[in-house]
Amino acid sequence: MAKMGAGHYRQASVQVVNTEMAPGYYGLPVIHGPHWRWSIVFYFVLGGLAGGSAVLAAVAQLVGGYWARPIVRAGRYLAVLAVLPGPLLLIIDLGRPERFHHMLRVLKLRSPMSLGVWGLIGFTATALLNALQQVAEDGLLGRRNPVAHALRCLPTRLLAATSALPAFFLAGYTGVLLGATAVPLWARNALRLGPLFLCSALSSAAAALSLLIGHRPTARRAQHALERVEQVAVLGELILLETLRRSDTVVTRPLREGREGLAYTGARVGSALALVLHSIAKLLPRSPHVWLRMLGSLAALVSAFLLRAAMIFGGRRSAEDPVATIAITRKDTGSPSTAP
Amino acid sequence: MVRNTSALVGTTQARPGAFGFLTDTTLCIGCKACEVACKQWNQLPMDDFGFTGRSYDNTGDLGATTWRHVAFIERVADREGRRPTRLQPFQSNWLMFSDVCKHCVNAGCLEACPTGAIIRTEFDTVVIQQDICNGCGYCVPACPFGVPALSPLDGKAHKCTLCYDRLKDGLEPACSKACPTDAIQFGPVHALLDRAKVRVAELRDQGVDAQLYGDLALGGTGGIGGLNALFILTAPPEVYNLPAQPELPQRRVLPAFLTTALAALALGLATLLTFWRTEKEGAHG
Ligand code: SF4
Ligand code: SF4
Repeated sequence: MAKMGAGHYRQASVQVVNTEMAPGYYGLPVIHGPHWRWSIVFYFVLGGLAGGSAVLAAVAQLVGGYWARPIVRAGRYLAVLAVLPGPLLLIIDLGRPERFHHMLRVLKLRSPMSLGVWGLIGFTATALLNALQQVAEDGLLGRRNPVAHALRCLPTRLLAATSALPAFFLAGYTGVLLGATAVPLWARNALRLGPLFLCSALSSAAAALSLLIGHRPTARRAQHALERVEQVAVLGELILLETLRRSDTVVTRPLREGREGLAYTGARVGSALALVLHSIAKLLPRSPHVWLRMLGSLAALVSAFLLRAAMIFGGRRSAEDPVATIAITRKDTGSPSTAP
Repeated sequence: MVRNTSALVGTTQARPGAFGFLTDTTLCIGCKACEVACKQWNQLPMDDFGFTGRSYDNTGDLGATTWRHVAFIERVADREGRRPTRLQPFQSNWLMFSDVCKHCVNAGCLEACPTGAIIRTEFDTVVIQQDICNGCGYCVPACPFGVPALSPLDGKAHKCTLCYDRLKDGLEPACSKACPTDAIQFGPVHALLDRAKVRVAELRDQGVDAQLYGDLALGGTGGIGGLNALFILTAPPEVYNLPAQPELPQRRVLPAFLTTALAALALGLATLLTFWRTEKEGAHG
C-alpha cells in the first residue's frame, strides 16, 4: 500500500486509487484455509519417522547380516512408538473427536484422508506384529511362554516385507493429502510434496535410529549403512526443497516471508548441515568423529520437523492470499484484470 | 474478456434432473433478503454484529453460519484506472453479487470427505449430513470456491444445503423465494442454463459485457464439470472473488500418488543397495 503524504495528496491521480485497490474483493481470501495446527504437524513428523523406521528395519532384515540386527531392533520399536500417538493426535484435532470412528464407515479412493486412515491402520497392524516379534526375540515375554514362541515362529522376512508397503504409504500420503486441496502453495506443488515428505521421512528415521543405536564399536557397520541412507535421502530432500522454493514465486511466498519462511529456511539449513557434517566426518582423518555425526543426525531431525511446520502453516497463509489463488486459477487469458 | 474456449461456453455436464440456482447479478439490488431468509429458515445464528468498514457488506464472506452472502463491489476505477463518469446501465456503479455454494457437478468437498458425510442428493445437490460429519475439516480447503467452514459452535462443517428439507416438500429454497427481483432463480439446471444464455445475449445486445459463470469455460472448469448454481456476471470473476478457472483438487490425487510411488521406489532401491553394499564390504574386509 502506497503511503500518501500531504505533498502526494494534491497530485493523487486516479491511478493511485487503482493501484491501492487490493486484488479481488477488498483483498479478502478467495478460498477457505484449513484449521490444522500443531497436532497435525506432530502427526506428520511422527508418521514420517514411523514409516521411515519400518522401511529401514525391513531392509535391514531382508539384506543385512548380523551387523544389521541393531537397526532391525531399534527400527521395529521406533516404528511402533512413533505411530501409536498418531491416532490420538488426529482425534484431538477433530471438531467432534467422539465421532472419530465415522472415518471407518467408508473407503474412498479419491480422498487421501480416507485412504490415509486405512493406511494408518494397516501400518499400525504390521508395525505392531513386527515389534511384538522383536519383544519375543528379546526375551521380554519369557523364554518358555507359548505366545512368545508362536511370535518367534512367524516368518520374519515375510513380516518385514509386508510392513514396507504401508510404511512407504504412511510416510508419503500426507504430501498427496495436502496437494489435493485448493490451497495454492500445496496445489501447485502436489507432485513434489509426496516425494519431499518421503525423503524427509527416511532421512529423519535414519538419523533417529543412528542416535538410538549409539556409536559403540560393535555398531560400526550399522552406523555406516544408516549414514549412507541418511545422506542419499537428505540430498533428495535438499534438491526438492530448493526446486520447490524456486518453482513459482507467487505461490511460494509464504515460504520466503515471516515465521513460515524462517521455518522453511531452517529446514533447508538443517538438511544442508546434515549433509555437510556427515561428509566432513567421513573425509576427516581419524574417524569416527562421533560428535560431528550426532550433530548431523540431530540437524536432519530438526529439519524434518521444521519442514512439516513450514508446509502446514505456510499453507494456511497461502490460502489467505487472494493473489496466489487468482494466479493459479487463471488459465485462458494472460493477466487477470482485477479492477472492476 | 477474451475466451479461447468458446466451444465450452454455455455447456455443463449437469445430470438430467439436477436442480440448481441461477443468480443474475444484474438484477440484484443488494437488499440481502436472501441472506436473511436463509438464516431464518435454516435457524443459523447471527454473525459478529459489527462493521467491516469496507462497504455496505458487513457480512464479509460465506461461512458456517452464512450460506448466502451478498457482496457489494464499488466500481471505483476501471481497468485503466479511470473513474467512471457515467452511470452503468445497471446498478449505478455498484455490483451486487449474492454468493452461495456452487453445488458443483463434481464437488471437491464431497470427494475429499473421509467420513462420507457429504452426499449428492436425489436433486443432484451437495449436502453435508450433520449426523455424520466429525469435523475433520478436509472439505474446507478442498472446495475451490471457499464455501464450507467449520463452526466453532458445534465443531462440524456447514454450508448451503440448497434447502434440502424444503425441496423434499416441493418448496423452492428460502433465498430464491424471498428474492424480490428474481435475481435468484431456482429450477432444473438445464432450464436455468437455457434461460441464462438468453439473458446473457440480451444483456450483450444492450452493451453490457455479461457472461455466464459456471459453465465448462468459466467457473466449472478443470474437471468440476460445471456448477449447478450458475451466475451471470458483468465483470471478470475475480472482481466478485470468484476463481476464473478453478480445478477439481482430486484430479491431482492419482498423479501425486504416482510421483510418490516413484520416489518410494527410488528410495527403497537406494536403501537396499546401501545395505547390500555394506553387507558385501564386511564380507571382504
Ligand atoms: S462450491 Fe465448494 S462446497 Fe459447494 S459443492 Fe462445490 S466444492 Fe462443495
Ligand atoms: S469436516 Fe465433516 S463434512 Fe467436512 S470432510 Fe470432514 S467429515 Fe466430511
